[in-house]
Amino acid sequence: MKEQFDTSNCFTIQGKLALPYSYFAGRVGSRFLIRIRDEKKIMGIRCNRCAKVYVPPRQTCDVCMEDIRDNWVDVASEGEVTNFTVVRYRDKHLPKDPPYVLAVIRLDGADTCLAHVVQGVDPAEVRAGLRVRAVFAPETTNTLLDIDHFEPV
Amino acid sequence: MSEKFGVKVEEIFDTMPERFRPEGAEGVDASFGYDITGRGKWKLTVKDKAMSIEKTEDLAGCVVVTRAAPDTFVGVSIGKVDGTEAFTSGKIAVEGDIGALGLTFKLFKRFTPPQKELTVREYILDMFGTLESRFQPQAAGDSRIVICYDIGGKDGGQWTAVIENGTCKLAEGLDPSPSLTLAMKAKDWVDLMLGRVDALTLLSTARAKLEGDMALAMRLGELFAKYAPPGQEVVEDEELLVLKKVISVQQRFATGPVMGKYLNGLKEKKIFGNRCPECKRLQIPPREVCAVCRIRVEAFEEVGPKGNIRLLDTAYYASPDPLTGETRETPYAMAYILLDGCKGQEVFAHFIRDDQIDRIDMGWNEKKGTIVRPVWAEERKGKVTDIRYYEIDE
Repeated sequence: MKEQFDTSNCFTIQGKLALPYSYFAGRVGSRFLIRIRDEKKIMGIRCNRCAKVYVPPRQTCDVCMEDIRDNWVDVASEGEVTNFTVVRYRDKHLPKDPPYVLAVIRLDGADTCLAHVVQGVDPAEVRAGLRVRAVFAPETTNTLLDIDHFEPV
Repeated sequence: MSEKFGVKVEEIFDTMPERFRPEGAEGVDASFGYDITGRGKWKLTVKDKAMSIEKTEDLAGCVVVTRAAPDTFVGVSIGKVDGTEAFTSGKIAVEGDIGALGLTFKLFKRFTPPQKELTVREYILDMFGTLESRFQPQAAGDSRIVICYDIGGKDGGQWTAVIENGTCKLAEGLDPSPSLTLAMKAKDWVDLMLGRVDALTLLSTARAKLEGDMALAMRLGELFAKYAPPGQEVVEDEELLVLKKVISVQQRFATGPVMGKYLNGLKEKKIFGNRCPECKRLQIPPREVCAVCRIRVEAFEEVGPKGNIRLLDTAYYASPDPLTGETRETPYAMAYILLDGCKGQEVFAHFIRDDQIDRIDMGWNEKKGTIVRPVWAEERKGKVTDIRYYEIDE
């Protein structure tokens, strides 16, 4: 049974919470993004012990726990979709208008995958194994969106 | 040639005799080799609690030879680079008896780089003394540029740089018709030139002033090469990316009947509490349930609006307001006020008028604190901010 009470004083307050923050890309992340921005090249970092190439780069190999921050290698700006999803809703923080394909892409020469947008193909046509290449953005935002998207080769 | 850490490889070896610890050399009788890429080889010989170091080509007879790049060697020697990590990552290679290498760790006191810090005045003189030589003609173009430097404080001075025909001439004093004038204190100028503070911070905190051609101001970094203190080389800043964002989250707060009664009361300039029927404690703002007895609390009671201050909490560092992202001016103070009709712990928290913070007395036990009254907002919307703040009742 529902308890009845006087709701004459009840009201709602509309509000907005603003959370300012700074994301620091760090030394490794900065160098990665700056090379994409200035030279339109994608770099990874290789672990000299297990030979794993990390893209996006990181400063410690998660298998060997080696400090690998100086072992930069170029990887191709072409690769293969290993998995994907279709984003079908719109939100401020999302990079593209829906529907768009958010894919996990392994670039040639890399052992780990990069999550990025695939455009230029009907979402229904995307399959794991699809060959894609990076399309660089004309305007920089100093973020990974300096690669605007990937498109089928 | 200086290394990344401003210390030369040679300095490390040359200071070995003075850093030598005979007590650490007990029972050591061996030679140790160092092969520093591009700099040469050194041989350290320890015997009978005495040592000698020589630069040599021949490392024969050494029990162990350490190979490293200059930066790594210097970094490890002065404690800026972790030796174990440098070794395991292959930046230091060891040939021979690794166990013997451990003996060398106890032989020397750690190298401390000599203090080269100049005074602010010395920096200022050196910075302006080298200004002409740091001028970059190719960045200047053909136009005549006059830059005035008004450096305040006892270590400061006034200079004018005149740039024309691909040369830069610095003179003391301020030109009456400059293209650009920079004004700040000597200490801030030194910090700026040494990269310890950025221009935007100085400008936004009004510690620096710019007058004139702003486009020129943006180009100052191109007009003059980066300053490096005497004996040090320019270390180019590594570009590091920072992404500044504001996440905004929409939210709705449903007052419910009790908080709603309290907030609606504020519109009428009334402050309501509610009293627990069991423990007789008054809660302000009122709650649906007594936090101690956990039973429903019904009866509202109007209290205040005046009261006396029990505790004043002054903030000198403000965090950004989560609702706006803005940081309020400091100092500001929040007071815990015992409103008329309340007793004991039944305090109400609100802000105190900023210019009266220093005049507030806090009360305790039977002693009353400063009597304060609310200052109501003209337009009241049923929010805590319907009371703008409390002020001294006088």
